[in-house]
Amino acid sequence: MAFGLKPLGRERIWLWGLLTPTLIGLVFGTIGSLLATLLLSFFEWDLIRPPKLIGFDNYVALFTNESYFRSFKNTIIFAAMYVPGVLVISLLVAVLMNRKIRGVSIFRTVYFLPAVTSAVATALVWNMIYGKDTGILNIFLESIGLNPVCWLCRDNAMLSVVIVNVWGAIGEGMIIFLAGLTAIPREYYEAATVDGANRAQQFFRITIPLITPSIFFQALISAINAFQAYDYIYMLTRRGQGDSTVPVAVFSIYRNAFNFFKMGVASAQAIQLAVLVAIFMGLLLIFERRFVVYE
Amino acid sequence: MKTRLLALLMVSAFVLSACGGAPAPAQTPSAQPSKEEPIQPTRAQPQAGQPVEITFMMWGAPEEQQVWQAVVDDFTKANPDIKVNVEVSDWDSYWAKLNTLVAGGTPPDVFAMDAPLYLDWQSRGALLNLQPYIDSNPGFLDNFFPQTLEAYKLPEGYFGLPRDFQTIVLFYNKDMFDAAGMAYPTADWTYDDLRAAAKALTKDTNGDGKIDQFGFWTDVWDMELFWSEAIWAYGGEIISADHTKTLIGEPNARKAWEFIDSLFKDGSIPAPATSGEYGDDLFQSKSAAMTTIGHWAVPGYVSAGFKFGVAPMPKGPSGRATSVNSAGFVLSAKGQHPDQSWKFVQFALSEAGQKRLAELGFAIPVLKDVANSDAYLKQPGDLDQQVFLDALEYSHMKPVFRGYEEWAAAVGDGLAPVFDGEAELGPTLDNVVTQADEILANNQ
Repeated sequence: MAFGLKPLGRERIWLWGLLTPTLIGLVFGTIGSLLATLLLSFFEWDLIRPPKLIGFDNYVALFTNESYFRSFKNTIIFAAMYVPGVLVISLLVAVLMNRKIRGVSIFRTVYFLPAVTSAVATALVWNMIYGKDTGILNIFLESIGLNPVCWLCRDNAMLSVVIVNVWGAIGEGMIIFLAGLTAIPREYYEAATVDGANRAQQFFRITIPLITPSIFFQALISAINAFQAYDYIYMLTRRGQGDSTVPVAVFSIYRNAFNFFKMGVASAQAIQLAVLVAIFMGLLLIFERRFVVYE
Repeated sequence: MKTRLLALLMVSAFVLSACGGAPAPAQTPSAQPSKEEPIQPTRAQPQAGQPVEITFMMWGAPEEQQVWQAVVDDFTKANPDIKVNVEVSDWDSYWAKLNTLVAGGTPPDVFAMDAPLYLDWQSRGALLNLQPYIDSNPGFLDNFFPQTLEAYKLPEGYFGLPRDFQTIVLFYNKDMFDAAGMAYPTADWTYDDLRAAAKALTKDTNGDGKIDQFGFWTDVWDMELFWSEAIWAYGGEIISADHTKTLIGEPNARKAWEFIDSLFKDGSIPAPATSGEYGDDLFQSKSAAMTTIGHWAVPGYVSAGFKFGVAPMPKGPSGRATSVNSAGFVLSAKGQHPDQSWKFVQFALSEAGQKRLAELGFAIPVLKDVANSDAYLKQPGDLDQQVFLDALEYSHMKPVFRGYEEWAAAVGDGLAPVFDGEAELGPTLDNVVTQADEILANNQ
């Protein structure tokens, strides 16, 4: 440990005594299942018969099997739309919520509400909005003379679920950005105003550079959420028995493991997803070194 | 200080036990349970006077738990030394739970099986061969409808037995037919009659410019409710007898698919992507005038409070066809109390047990004597229960083969865009058959 107080004497016993339960959980629960997943990904295992070693076959299948590859691709497309969407919109909302408006706390609460509401319940409400024949959105479109759109059919479903997921994530992003915004000293803006900088200039020259740590942090969180996204997507796109119009990686992992008796493939998919997240994190860390300013 | 240390110990012990999970399975890891392995009925003899506990797991509605509890109570009265714990979950949770328990080495003693998935479980050695028990009860199977036994019969014997069965028939909403002044469906109907009636009954009843009553609704993802029946009636087949080839793309089957597609093109049945807007079951939510479904839907339809009737499935160019499927009992190959588990199954499949089931009104008893008795035929209401029994005569067994679930997903997922109007039937069907054959090849 580079900083903080060092435990001395008896305290050391207490330290380890109190950490043990958590550590055991971590070692056997998290790290143990991680290693088991890695190991299983080289086996064929149907949960009942003993696992059979098959080398890299599962990994080859990830790219040759149409449905596995489709779910992987969907996750990447989803993340590519979701992460920038969350960053831009929640930053804009945070900037708005950072001004002296009457009843700002009510607005902040309203924006935060989706984050504390059950995803399954709100997804059902979104279903009523998106519905092709009876949905509110299409009724509105028709009332202004436009043609109804099948929001949750194959062609539009991805965009529709990204919108809902971004909507659900604005609240948390707003909190992170608000924390960053309130930490910027007012004097900077006052000085800029005196120098004749307009609002846009102030936003890009002062606000953005000074909240890069928040942007970085939020990008990290959003990316992890994007790769794990499941609940809204499944609730909005489920079709028939267990099918989804937009199958994402987590959905495919679950289905292979618990419906199709293919633990090995599911493990390989989980490792693939983990590697993807790791690569993304690596890129973000490089980005952090170059652009993030810590005061 | 001492008390603090004690508290610490207690807390960590508590946390540890919470992390520990299930105790290690007590049984010795037996060799790979091969199909030839003779069963040892005396695996774990209970000590005298000690009641044996067995677990029975099934999927179903909460009402079903009550009825099964009644069956169990009857059973315990006759066998005070056996205690049965009934666990009922909904369909999805049931399979997730069962998979986890089996993988963890602590499977339930007796559990419910959907016939199409039976081979997936049997071929993995998870199920106990019941043949020795059946052999020791001569005549035990005589009273069963033979069509219901077919799915479980293997060269080595029965690894499961049907508990109740389902045939698919045509349901129609009498109120909607009356309002349109149309005659009810009859046994002479063809698929073309169905299409014409569905078209006529699809309408905008409140004049807001939108269709709010569909002529027909059914599930086209799984084969059981509609598409397998149509394929058989058009002279097609689902899968080759040796389970290596998917036949749903052959010329006759293709005609059936074209017929189904025409219902969607007519607009008489809502597209899969939009049907959810009208409820989970459009017939029950009074948004559709006709549907094809099994007896399990009857209690729900009765409670929805409208007048409905049943008719046989329509005739196709190759005659009439329907699907028969069953839910069954299986015993875990690793159960500790196979004798007691069998006793329970035997009781549930006896006349007394089957009569209780018939009273429930969800399914049809597998015993001929019970199905043909008042317990089944004289259920409350004026529904013609005989239609479901007569359907057995022209029924085909819902196919049972390895890799069923993955195969069904490839077909159901693959064809959905066609019915949503986003893909062409012909090339999509070709593609689906290729994928489905690949899955069959991987499951040989």
